[in-house]
Amino acid sequence: MPDVDVLVVGAGPAGAVAACQAKRAAPELDVVLLERDRAVGAPVRCAEGVGDAGLREFANPDGADWVSRKITDVIFEAPDDTQVVLAGSGVGWILDRTRFDAFLAAQAAAEGAAVLVGTEATAMARNGDGRWHVRVKQRGTEEIYRARMVIGADGVETMVGRWAGLETRVPARDMESCAQYVLQGIDFNPDAIYLQFSHAIAPGGYAWIFPKGVGVANVGLGLVALKTDGRNARQYLDAWIDRRFPTGARTGYTVGGVIVHTTIKKTYTDGVLVAGDAAHMINPLSGGGITNAMKAGRLAGCTAAAAIRGNDTSERRLSAYHNAWMDMLGEDHLKYYRIKQALEHMDDAFLNSLARTVNKIEPSKRTIGRVFTKALIKHPQLIPVAARFFV
Amino acid sequence: MRRVTPDTIAVVDLAVCDRCGLCLPLCPPEAIHLELNVLTVDAATCTGCEKCVAPCPVGALAMIPLVPSPHPESLVNA
Repeated sequence: MPDVDVLVVGAGPAGAVAACQAKRAAPELDVVLLERDRAVGAPVRCAEGVGDAGLREFANPDGADWVSRKITDVIFEAPDDTQVVLAGSGVGWILDRTRFDAFLAAQAAAEGAAVLVGTEATAMARNGDGRWHVRVKQRGTEEIYRARMVIGADGVETMVGRWAGLETRVPARDMESCAQYVLQGIDFNPDAIYLQFSHAIAPGGYAWIFPKGVGVANVGLGLVALKTDGRNARQYLDAWIDRRFPTGARTGYTVGGVIVHTTIKKTYTDGVLVAGDAAHMINPLSGGGITNAMKAGRLAGCTAAAAIRGNDTSERRLSAYHNAWMDMLGEDHLKYYRIKQALEHMDDAFLNSLARTVNKIEPSKRTIGRVFTKALIKHPQLIPVAARFFV
Repeated sequence: MRRVTPDTIAVVDLAVCDRCGLCLPLCPPEAIHLELNVLTVDAATCTGCEKCVAPCPVGALAMIPLVPSPHPESLVNA
């Protein structure tokens, strides 16, 4: 029965950073990072876009082999294909998640964490000895790991949270069903990400084009099933691509869920922390989760290390993790969620008219402030949306 | 909790399922499991609420009629 100090379940961005930080904060601890799949980073279930500032807190993208493409422009598209170009609106990156996740896991390993691939946690229970006993399966063998701290970074399935008795379920209205192809041989601006908002194309979500290179992109969409006409996400995506990129070669395909809710009410209990998608730490407006996950992983790793050093892994002590997260980003997500709810009432005709309003502003003067002001003057129905940002 | 045996329960078509795990947190009674790359719906726990069916991005989940039991006793626990 292996005895470990910190057992991290899931080697995505949250788990890899958590393992790395725990070991860095307390090198004397035994830290083990489990990955269920045979390779860290695969299969990719992600559009792979990330903002520059958040990424740089953890890694330098300049010249890195885990970057697919640098992005400088954002192009919003209305339902009628009217484009609103925000040129030079900020820098972002499209990652190569198979390499990026492996890079983060390698950093954890370099700090001294043990990384185990093809190794799946299948159950856990709190034992009388104050440790979590975690059942771990690897290549047909089964072992019970005894852990002082378990960090659940197991993504949308969030089984660690469930086993620990935390409420991790998601209402159907807050689950985005996503499908995505890697499309080759298509024509678009490779320095821009495209986001198209339309109830007909992606009800309750949006469709995206995220460049991986010239002529190659992640092309996908997310929708809320409750708002559809009965087709699934893949069928909506096929219809959009047939119209938009009829000659594109579909060389890759992925599906998955993005939880567009707010952080779970309680992300901790005795000896357990939950981080990243598993704790619903996703920007509910954008669906972005990579930097959120890394920031939560950093907090979780440091909190776990300090708790073990202080010989107190009680939920009273671990509540500091939750509070720090809420102060850092969790409270913002509550605001974004309220805005998302208000925007749900805007129909396609309104979105078309909003795009034309914004396009009346000269592109070089298209600051967020001006767009915001002009939109509010021309479209008073947005005022309640704006108001929600401040309540 | 009062649990009435449902008329239909969810089943997964493993030839279609992509193992993305989206349906797990949607299931109110936590009847769906993903272990060793196989998704299963626990027929004894499924309440037939259907919340997992439409959100599946590939349509791998469907409802099927639950065959009536020849021994209907103890199906309803007050």
